[in-house]
Amino acid sequence: MRHLTSLGFVVFAAILVAVPLTAGNEYELRLFMLFLIYGVIAVGLNVLVGLTGLVSLGQAGLFALGSYTGAILAVRLGFDMLSASIGAAVVSGAFGVLLAYPTVRVRGVYLAVVTIAFGIIVENVAIEWQSLTGGTTGLSSIPRPNIFGYRISGFAFYGVLAVTLFLATLATYNLKRSRYGRAMLAVSQSETAARALGVNATAVRTLAFVVASVTAGIAGSFYAFLNSYISPDIFTFADSVRFLLMVILGGAASTFGPVIGAYILTYLPEFLQQFQLWQKFAYGALLLVVMFALPRGIVGTLWMLVQRLNPEKREADPAEGISAEQSLRHDVRDGEAELVARDLTVRFGGLTALSKASLRVKPGEVHALIGPNGAGKSTFVNTISGFYKPTEGEFELDGIQLTGKRSHEIARIGLARTFQNTELFGELTVLENVLVGYQQRLTYGIADALLRTPRLRREERESRRAAIGLLTFVGLDAYANEQARFLPFGLQRRLEIARALAAKPRLLLLDEPAAGLTTQEIDALEEMIRRIAALGISVLLIEHHVELIMAVADTVTVLDYGQVIASDTPAIVQEDPRVIEAYFGASLDAAKTEDVA
Amino acid sequence: MSTFIQYTLSGLAIGGIYALVALGFHIMWTAAKAVNFAHGDTLMIGAVLAVLGVDAGLPLWLACLLGVAAGALFGILLERFAVRPFTGGTTSIGWMLTTIAVGIMIESLATMQFGGFSRPLPSPGVEKAVHIMGAGIYPQELLIPLVAILAMVGLKFMQKHTLVGRAMQAVAHDKRAAALMGINVNRIVAFSFGLAALFGAAAGILVAPVIQVSATMGTLLGLKGFAVAIIGGITSAPGVVIAGLLFGVMEKFVEGYISTAAREIIGFSSMILVLLVFPQGLFGKREVLKV
Repeated sequence: MRHLTSLGFVVFAAILVAVPLTAGNEYELRLFMLFLIYGVIAVGLNVLVGLTGLVSLGQAGLFALGSYTGAILAVRLGFDMLSASIGAAVVSGAFGVLLAYPTVRVRGVYLAVVTIAFGIIVENVAIEWQSLTGGTTGLSSIPRPNIFGYRISGFAFYGVLAVTLFLATLATYNLKRSRYGRAMLAVSQSETAARALGVNATAVRTLAFVVASVTAGIAGSFYAFLNSYISPDIFTFADSVRFLLMVILGGAASTFGPVIGAYILTYLPEFLQQFQLWQKFAYGALLLVVMFALPRGIVGTLWMLVQRLNPEKREADPAEGISAEQSLRHDVRDGEAELVARDLTVRFGGLTALSKASLRVKPGEVHALIGPNGAGKSTFVNTISGFYKPTEGEFELDGIQLTGKRSHEIARIGLARTFQNTELFGELTVLENVLVGYQQRLTYGIADALLRTPRLRREERESRRAAIGLLTFVGLDAYANEQARFLPFGLQRRLEIARALAAKPRLLLLDEPAAGLTTQEIDALEEMIRRIAALGISVLLIEHHVELIMAVADTVTVLDYGQVIASDTPAIVQEDPRVIEAYFGASLDAAKTEDVA
Repeated sequence: MSTFIQYTLSGLAIGGIYALVALGFHIMWTAAKAVNFAHGDTLMIGAVLAVLGVDAGLPLWLACLLGVAAGALFGILLERFAVRPFTGGTTSIGWMLTTIAVGIMIESLATMQFGGFSRPLPSPGVEKAVHIMGAGIYPQELLIPLVAILAMVGLKFMQKHTLVGRAMQAVAHDKRAAALMGINVNRIVAFSFGLAALFGAAAGILVAPVIQVSATMGTLLGLKGFAVAIIGGITSAPGVVIAGLLFGVMEKFVEGYISTAAREIIGFSSMILVLLVFPQGLFGKREVLKV
């Protein structure tokens, strides 16, 4: 499959070289250069739409911002084309952060609205700030394309644009295959799980939007030099829709889809011009048709056909893996992890879900947390993994204060968890799910990701080997390249465990891992919990299944109505009258005494 | 002083429109965690059909009624065919793009039918201006904010005291549990989108005599309505109505003292600023993530 993409890049390069040689006249070449500029926008936007599943309807605004920045730097300050474009990239990127950060931490949907609004802001600033932008008459007299003060020919400018699009496509392809791309896909499929694995969802989404902003800014600056005249009314909302349509039509998340989409939608208006009024309608109709008939876009659909005809091997080679014992071993001086929660109280409005609950998971033990339905077990789990904020009380792992920390920070400190209702990244493969878990152990940066440096290759190879080892550990190596959503339920639970282990946690939190499993599967789970504990990982097990708890737990803590009513070895807790009462109501003797009284 | 009153009163008028639009977004969001991105077009549909109805010789009240009914129907159909097929997915791209696509198509159809120009809708509310402390204002404009507040109070009343209103709240709280209690969730969601679109179309007709009716009149009003929903907190009905009225007044002052361009710049920037400081909006509640 990878060969197919490499072949794609070779063909792409060949086309980019061939076009200027065969172009009939200047107008034809100019239109193709316009396509190259649109292509850069679409390729960047694809990172946002295809990988994080967010929508921007303000790319025209960022395009305009880049255009004006580039033009102003060139006209007013005498920058050459390259430095003006870098300036445009920086300014657009900064506005990308400003727009995305406040928005995506609340609701992804808001980004669409905020970006539309931003387009309107840019347009009005361009009208209003006449001394800088020339107001409604716009900026003319933008210098001809030049580099270091030397004017370059039309063909050389074509070369700059072609190289830019080629490199942008390659860089986003590299990004997609790096930990950043995986984090983006993970966040779009289950934000909850991603956060529990140490992924900072807000940062990842902001990064995706910044990529889309920077590319739009660069494209805008080149556009200003190509057109040598810009005005506020060139950049319309319809353009933003068109840029988005390029990505969707070509195939969101695919490598070449946005380029093909940009090509089609650069030439389509030329064709549609004869229909005049119907042109806008045609855009809407095309978008609707694509959403229903071709949701994966042109390239995405073709890619699916290729994969169906030539499926990848489902299993991974266990020999490639590093054993879990080896990859998860902690240094001796780290010791085993101790979790201490003191007087945790959680209130939702008037309801007290957890009331002064204290619990201590001793280093290296398997600690079970039980209690009737509604006792506050899930609240406890969600609080110590950072999803709920405690109203009062505090908790720490090995003396590191966790109260007030966000879920991804807690995960990075060494607490990993699974979920009662499994939260897998459904469209990622089984192996990729585990790789997301491994994410926080990787150290390479964004530059390594874009350039695919040897450091990245080394770390990626290592993480892949560790992930395969973990799949072997839970018995899933035969399904490595299967999409996670196709796994049967019992195996999905095991995959969650492998994924949580990949983060190399010191404390593993299993939230009702036996729920919905068959008797044989529970036996296998019991054995797996023992093996995990043997790796030196402390385990906090939230469970209903009494036999499982009695078999594996060193300590059992019982919650009832949000309060801890017992905490001791399984045998003692089993005999505790308060525990019996919580589960079965008052004993017969006790009931009689009450009657007499 | 009279300028101050003038800006405040006409600000409340346009603010009432934003409030009605934002109320629609609030209703849709609580019901489906999805919205109609072509919601602005329901204003246009209501107003345009009312004008066409009057053209065809219908009495004004009947034309308006038809406009509102058509708007509501549009909302219901859009939910059924453009939103519902996509609400099951993990991302919101699907329903966003389909509703945007429908919006584009409706708008260009309306341009072709209605022409690219603006027309007024006649109304007894704009025949004669009244004077309040030196400020001249049409009765129609005074009516708008009252309608917005009434709509919000009516919505609250319905949610508390009627079966369908309680069902709406149940669906908003937990779809699955609501379904298990025998509530037809799909029907409630469709009803919510219909109700939201009804408010939208009514807002379009109310504002039509004051501003002009055109095929593109809904775009900016819809967007500002969403901005107001974000500012007020999309989870709070009173919050979005208050924010809407305030936003309208602020716009009039900025427009009056600076310029129209500054109105858009400051209006939308304030939305981003509010998001930065109050992520859940001024009056919104944080939605507890169910893990």
